[in-house]
Amino acid sequence: MRALVIDDSRTMRRIVSGTLHNLGFETVEAEHGQAALDVLDSGVHVDLACIDWNMPVMDGLTFVTQVRADPALRDITLMMVTTESEQSQIVRALAAGAHEYLIKPFTADAIREKLEWLGLVPAEEYV
Amino acid sequence: MSAMVDSDSVYAIAESVFSAMIDGDEGLLLPWEGDLPQFADPLYAWVDLLGEWQGRAALTTEAPTAHALARALLMMGDDEVVSDADLIDAFGEIANVVGGNVKALLPTQGTLGLPRVDAVLPPHEGGSLSQELRLSWRGQPIVVAVWLFG
Ligand SMILES: [Mg+2]
Repeated sequence: MRALVIDDSRTMRRIVSGTLHNLGFETVEAEHGQAALDVLDSGVHVDLACIDWNMPVMDGLTFVTQVRADPALRDITLMMVTTESEQSQIVRALAAGAHEYLIKPFTADAIREKLEWLGLVPAEEYV
Repeated sequence: MSAMVDSDSVYAIAESVFSAMIDGDEGLLLPWEGDLPQFADPLYAWVDLLGEWQGRAALTTEAPTAHALARALLMMGDDEVVSDADLIDAFGEIANVVGGNVKALLPTQGTLGLPRVDAVLPPHEGGSLSQELRLSWRGQPIVVAVWLFG
């Protein structure tokens, strides 16, 4: 599995990428939506994109809209990872085509649970 | 207007940001007991809230504490040197996450500015302080302040 981690904060990219590595993902990083589209245009295939909302050049909502407008990218699972925690913003992102929504601050467990829910990592077995 | 951004809510936000992102555990961010010492070498991280409800969320710490926060966020060793770029990015992202969650407390939501970090906090036109939390992180003072100009 490969994930594209999109956030203008490299600190946050490192945190998200580190968590995904522990879950068995390879990661590619992009500092805003346009850089992320450039990665996808270059032919890199990803299974998952973790997308910040508030970024310069191209924000996360615009990125989601652009990916959803491209049939070639329909297999990518889109998860917003953002401080935008209002219900109205969550509704906007899901309406634009995001599959999941994770509010910052988050724990590593919260990412794992969302990815289990999305079927991207096997559910942890509880004894 | 301070009723909607009350100190308990801001404290809950700060606590969850520190426990989830920085410490991996609760209880390392506590109320500051007694008088707050004057900052000798302050560093500010802030985001502006834009829209119908305007405001700002800012953190103030001593510069060495900001370096320690950046090391904790970036999982660096205690004696590793934090570059200016990492310091600005990491400390700014803390303000960004605090500010985004403060924005969600407002009656109507606009947008969040991009985080900034500097040794001086530029004045915000017409600002009135809504909350100022004096906190202790690993024994060092951190102030979390929210201004609103609704
Ligand atoms: Mg951002």
